[in-house]
Amino acid sequence: MPPLFKKILVANRSEIAVRVMRACRSIGIPTVAVYSEADIRSKHRLLADESVLIGPPPPRESYLDIEKIIAAAKQTGCDAIHPGYGFLAENPLFPAACKKSGITFIGPDSEAMRLLGNKVESRVKMADSGVPLTPGMKGSGKELDQFAKAAESAGYPVIIKAAAGGGGKGMRIVTEPAGLADAISAAQREALNAFGDDTIYLEKYLTDPRHIEFQVLADHHGHCIHLFERECSIQRRHQKIIEETPSVALTPELRAKMGADAVKVAQAAGYTNAGTVEFLLDKSGKYYFLEMNTRIQVEHPITEMVTGVDLVVEQIKVAAGLPLGDHLKDLTQRGHAIECRIYAEDGENNFLPSIGTVLHYSEPEGPGVRIDSGIAPGSEITMHYDPIMAKLIVHAPDRNTAITKMTDALEQFKILGVKTSRRFMIEVLNHPEFVAGRTFTSFIPAHMSNRDTSAGESHALAAVVAGVVMSKPAATTSPTGGRQAVTTPWDTIGSWQIGDSVS
Amino acid sequence: MNTHQFLIGEEKIETSVERSGDSWIVTSGGRTYEISTLPNGLFAVSVDGHRTIAAAVKHKGIVYVDLGRFQFELTSATDAATSGGAGDSHRAKDKVFAPMPGRIVKIMVAVGDSVTERQQLVIVEAMKMENPVLAPSAGKVKAVHFAAGDQVDTDSPIVELDI
Repeated sequence: MPPLFKKILVANRSEIAVRVMRACRSIGIPTVAVYSEADIRSKHRLLADESVLIGPPPPRESYLDIEKIIAAAKQTGCDAIHPGYGFLAENPLFPAACKKSGITFIGPDSEAMRLLGNKVESRVKMADSGVPLTPGMKGSGKELDQFAKAAESAGYPVIIKAAAGGGGKGMRIVTEPAGLADAISAAQREALNAFGDDTIYLEKYLTDPRHIEFQVLADHHGHCIHLFERECSIQRRHQKIIEETPSVALTPELRAKMGADAVKVAQAAGYTNAGTVEFLLDKSGKYYFLEMNTRIQVEHPITEMVTGVDLVVEQIKVAAGLPLGDHLKDLTQRGHAIECRIYAEDGENNFLPSIGTVLHYSEPEGPGVRIDSGIAPGSEITMHYDPIMAKLIVHAPDRNTAITKMTDALEQFKILGVKTSRRFMIEVLNHPEFVAGRTFTSFIPAHMSNRDTSAGESHALAAVVAGVVMSKPAATTSPTGGRQAVTTPWDTIGSWQIGDSVS
Repeated sequence: MNTHQFLIGEEKIETSVERSGDSWIVTSGGRTYEISTLPNGLFAVSVDGHRTIAAAVKHKGIVYVDLGRFQFELTSATDAATSGGAGDSHRAKDKVFAPMPGRIVKIMVAVGDSVTERQQLVIVEAMKMENPVLAPSAGKVKAVHFAAGDQVDTDSPIVELDI
């Protein structure tokens, strides 16, 4: 198969940029990275065939700057751009700008993106499609009494959400009328800051649902399929931290029904390329459409592990105009996959973001162990970007084995210099409720609130290792880890830029 | 053979380290450990038939150790060195600092207010999320040094308490 595109620019950073570039390379397409001044020595930049510096660290001046990114694509002769997730991935202005410049955007078109990105509009649209919706406000609201009325009608508890929202930002749960006013202003503030849009709406807050989402893929020839579900109920403050597939809560019948509805949602929106339809499943087995995400998602690898499909490669094929291939017919889920997101957050101290230099970084290995990472020894975690460092995914023949395998992989994953939530995740995975499959969105507040964060018995073990470190020659003082203990020319090259003029 | 004494938080631990061929024999607390160095900054530690792989690195006077499930920061009890930086455990409990650099969204207390331990005092916005800053101890607000909208670093106290 001749390369589908001449060159693809990846408009993102860190682990997703690395992962997208791997997909491009796997089908023979050269890659271009864009990077900010904070990412000069980053893994995603050094892995690309070419790279373009696009600005100082703040996203607004770099990764969110459409003009600079399009210019970088033109400068390097790219005919396609992949947005990754976050940043511009769900900004309808981006595919529109790509189209105007004659560059293929690897994702849906701007109208589908705009419609589904507006949670209020998509609720209104899906109301006509026969897909069940969570009870709540018809459109968006501004006045306190609009919200109060909708809350009374839906019944407390309710949740205030940002119309332009995602990633748990701009959301507040309200348990009684007295909390409504404060929740509205807090949600508006966070929404304005995160999305530049303070439009908010209200839905009934389902107590203790499961968050089940379906991966969909649609080509430009009218075909749309789903690639089964992901169970994403382990969340902290509405941010997913552990995801798995299949979901223990779905019977084959329920799976087929929800999958069919997911396809219905995508088709009703005229959607093309990869996307995710999110549902909430309550304990009685009733499910409700929540929203559709118009991008490749963080947790896409677990779908890939059980289906054997490379979703990013499929995205590139769809964008190049190919119809969905025969290999996508009759897909099944094989075995069980779990993903743990490794964030630079202190799991033993209220998940405070942890900034610093990665002094040691070494990954677990083995069959069925996959790591999508943007980090190497010496990487800097700064305050400019989301603190996600890597995603650890395991695949095993069954769920219990996947849990054991993931626990071992988390223990073999060694990271020093920044704090992470690995220990927290090991405790979640081995909690009897998790093992029993009773994973609802209330899991973390219900089971992980009063943790014993002491580690007294291991102090001696740490001390003896430290004793050896102090007795060894100075080799252990530089960032360590990775597969190569030798330095590369990249470490000594200093600052430089492609296209720098010689003066 | 050399001896090293370490501090983990408040706890002092003494180790005696001896080279033995390609590996190290370390005694501590009456137990004997055998430690081999592996490539890439890793160590294999054996004690009582139980083996652990650890990563460890020394940086600015602190030894960082990752045992897999637990991570530690050790300072040398025999040095006069301070641990420096924004280490939470070494902060006085009467001063409240931002956990990382950011912008103050809201200060929920005023001078004269009584606060309980772990009460939310300030909200600092960083990494696109709002982070609550909690009172390290119960007390009375003595001083508030910043206002909503101000940028803060981790070294200037935002609120001071009489505890």
